[in-house]
Amino acid sequence: MDRDLLRQCLTYHGESLFNKLKCEQTENPDFQAVVSDLCKATYQSRSEEKSNPLVEQFIARKADILFSPAWKTATLQEEEHEEEEATEPYAIMPPVELFMEVSYEERRSMMYRDLERGDIVVGRINNIREYGFFLTLLCMAGGLKRDIEDLELSALCHIREIPSSGSHDDPLSYYQIGDFIRAGVKDIDRYQEKITVSLHQASLPSSLKHIKLGVVTREELPIHYSRSVRAATDSSETYERILTSCHGYQNPSVVDYLLEKVGVSDTHPPSMMRGLQSKLFLEEDFASAIRKKQSAQWALKCVRAGVDHFKHGRHVDAMNEYNKALEIDSNNVEALVARGALYANKGSIMKAITDFELALESCPDHRNAKKYLCQTLVERGKQLEEQEKLVTAEGLYRRALSLDDSNPEAQEALHKITDTIQKSIRLREEALAKEQVKTKSSQTSAEKLRKILKEEKRMKKKRKRSASSSSSSSSTSSRNSSSSSSSSSSRRRSKKKKKKRRRSERGSKRHRRISSRESRKSEEGKSDKDRKEKEEDEVEWYPAPPNTSATFLNQRGVLGFGVRDGGEVEEKDAEDRRISQLYSLSAASEEEESDSPRRERKRRDREESRKRKNSLSRGPVREERRSRSREKREKSRERGKEDNRRDSNFKRRSSADENRKLSCSSAEVECSWKSRSEYLGNSGSASKHPESRLRHDSSSRNSFDGGRYENRGRQENRDVEEAKSEKDSRKFRAEEESSSSDRGHGRKSESAGNHYEQTSMRPRKDVPANLLDIFNQIAQFEKEKGVKLKK
Amino acid sequence: MEGPSSRLSAAPDGALRLAARRDSGGEAETDLGRDMKTHFRVCRFIMETGVKLGMRSVPVATACVLYHRFFERVNVQAYEPYLVAMSCVYLAGKVEEQHIRTRDIINVSHRYFNSGSAPLECDKEFWELRDSVVQCELLILRQLNFHVSFEHPHQYLLHYLLSVKSLVNRHAWSRTPVAETSWALLRDCYHGAMCIRHTPQHIAIATLYLALNSYGAELAVGEKEWWQNIKEM
Repeated sequence: MDRDLLRQCLTYHGESLFNKLKCEQTENPDFQAVVSDLCKATYQSRSEEKSNPLVEQFIARKADILFSPAWKTATLQEEEHEEEEATEPYAIMPPVELFMEVSYEERRSMMYRDLERGDIVVGRINNIREYGFFLTLLCMAGGLKRDIEDLELSALCHIREIPSSGSHDDPLSYYQIGDFIRAGVKDIDRYQEKITVSLHQASLPSSLKHIKLGVVTREELPIHYSRSVRAATDSSETYERILTSCHGYQNPSVVDYLLEKVGVSDTHPPSMMRGLQSKLFLEEDFASAIRKKQSAQWALKCVRAGVDHFKHGRHVDAMNEYNKALEIDSNNVEALVARGALYANKGSIMKAITDFELALESCPDHRNAKKYLCQTLVERGKQLEEQEKLVTAEGLYRRALSLDDSNPEAQEALHKITDTIQKSIRLREEALAKEQVKTKSSQTSAEKLRKILKEEKRMKKKRKRSASSSSSSSSTSSRNSSSSSSSSSSRRRSKKKKKKRRRSERGSKRHRRISSRESRKSEEGKSDKDRKEKEEDEVEWYPAPPNTSATFLNQRGVLGFGVRDGGEVEEKDAEDRRISQLYSLSAASEEEESDSPRRERKRRDREESRKRKNSLSRGPVREERRSRSREKREKSRERGKEDNRRDSNFKRRSSADENRKLSCSSAEVECSWKSRSEYLGNSGSASKHPESRLRHDSSSRNSFDGGRYENRGRQENRDVEEAKSEKDSRKFRAEEESSSSDRGHGRKSESAGNHYEQTSMRPRKDVPANLLDIFNQIAQFEKEKGVKLKK
Repeated sequence: MEGPSSRLSAAPDGALRLAARRDSGGEAETDLGRDMKTHFRVCRFIMETGVKLGMRSVPVATACVLYHRFFERVNVQAYEPYLVAMSCVYLAGKVEEQHIRTRDIINVSHRYFNSGSAPLECDKEFWELRDSVVQCELLILRQLNFHVSFEHPHQYLLHYLLSVKSLVNRHAWSRTPVAETSWALLRDCYHGAMCIRHTPQHIAIATLYLALNSYGAELAVGEKEWWQNIKEM
């Protein structure tokens, strides 16, 4: 019990209250503690009107509630800066003493009693001296709300309380008589009735810090002041009328706002009734708690009905019941588990997993949820295994095991898959080693020819690079040449750089291809890379023949380069075929296009293909390997079949679209390889086929190419070229050209991938007999290697 | 026993007496007394349900006023008062824009009468309860001639509080929980029918006056008392 309050109350009411208190509160231990104190207090005799036995009885009875310490209002609420009239959240009234007509002396003394440091006052300057200025206070602007205008209070603002304006002028010159000043009270001398104010922001308490001190305009005077002025002049303005006319009074949420302002809670409201003390209410009796329990109950009923349906095979009904249950109670654990089981049964594994995860979130120890989730994860893992996503599957198996250690299926699956992954890794390594060996040992005529051609290309590239240095992408030729020159120059600069670039590009491109094979291939790819680099080293030292365009033209498909790189996996066969088809297409178009600047294009092609080879080698392992094999195969075939034009086209096309090139190029290369293998069977038709296509597409291709070149930057060109392996540049170039032209064709028909698939569907073409033999040789060789790699 | 009407007086003391009487409980077992007891209990039910439903003070007050106005002219034997109370709560929520679901009202009321029971099943009994609440709501509307929007003293009380607060020393004010007490008194006065017999301003002033009185707080006195200024009586 608040002793001071009690004392105050008793002083006010008199002795009779004390007696009543003693009667009513005898059992109250708190009261006993204070009663002794209170006895000593003296009571003033009160005027008649104030003593009211009922009231006293009321107080006496309710004393324990009235005076309980828990009832203290909150700390002083922050005084908000009074808004303008239109936006006031509640009716800001003029000081009520205005209406009460409290006497002058009383108000004055009240003022001095209640004014405190940190209150804000507004006054008018009436006198400026050299040590400061004097204000006549008009009204309060924060901290207190009184009617003080006619009290003729005066305040001094010393010169040192004026913040320096920065200039060296006398700060007092800034102020004039008649200015309205808002200042913070600094000191009050009650006895001598002196008030000192300050213009420093620091003199304000933290709750009022945002209020700006200094000169204010008439509009900035507080609302209650203006209202009080109006009320003083107009005697018909009663409190009531002002209140209801205030804009803020109409605010629908004024009650909530003001409740907050005075510090009373509405959710646990105070009450004088003993039975209504809200702290006595049980938490579980509140509406929200009951609702939750009820929802869970109702949902459970639905779940039971659903499980019953499920057991009798009525899956649709069961699902309906589960959904109903989840509508009633959205995170009901049982409903989620049951629905997950139903999904898993139906085969919607992902949905089942989602449901189980949700259920485990809210209840991590649910036995059934864990069990079912474990089984479902194993299922999903098996699915992924079939899709060759071994790593993901392994992750899932591990998770399943972590959920339920004892599940035999999960354990077995996990072991199996780890074995599989290890085996595949080992096999890949073996295959790589084999390829490397084979590569080094094989020296067929095709290979030699390939090397010669490579040299040729290199020389041409050099020449080209030296010839052109522009980097405009406006013209295909310049673009090609510049890109080729840049790429070849870059290539020439340092093997290390190339290797680095290759590696980085390989790495970046690796990311683009997401397949289970990737992990395997990455390892293999690294060894591939090494191999490629070795090969390139070998190749680079060969002097390029001066003009090999003629050889290309004459040796369609005759190029028996054989197997240059060892490890082409046969898996690429399909893609190679597709790519070769594309190459044939592009080659055909290339032929048409490059009618005039044939040689130039050939040169460009060579450079580009070299670049592409370089870039390809940097690409993903798969690409590299493919490109290598492709290069070998394609080059052999290309030389036999294709024109340089095809190559240049291919190069151009491939360089045009970087990303797509990367996957495209490998795909294309493979397609072209594939098409070449097809050419083995039908050599003639292959050339015919692209040619026919070329004729058909040439014009459009030209424009398309031109547009593409302009659209794509040299960057792409370079990137693609860089991405392609550097080893078998010519072959690769040829391949690339065809693939790029194919790709261009493919792009025209929207997606390269689709196109590839389409192209792969093309029938085999006829190839002249001599070409056939060579191609057969090559194909066989490749296949052997591929088979070995595949394990 | 005197009915509430006899306690009408302009002076704030009337309100105080009524409050005190409420507190000391009903007296003679006359019909009127019994009725008043019933009304008292039912209003207690309304208040408690309002707190448990999270209703604000003003909708609870509206519910009580609806209830009192309904039974002004209706015999309390004719209708089940608790059902009427539930419907008043539902209707008041709609009027004061704090919508309460019937499911929650039924849950809390059921728990009020059968303390510690399990929540109701979604069965025939539940739907029948719900239907009866909705039907009773229509009945109340008709009985009140669809005049269901009232002016409450809460707004006035809060503004008066602020005005009076400025009159006193701020420290004295923070020591004295006048705001809470007056708010509590205001809420509690809805137990009785007094709330419909006085203007909201008077009720507000009365509660504030009593609160100040209980703590012995003294205010500045001018030509008129503070409450005389606020509302010309």
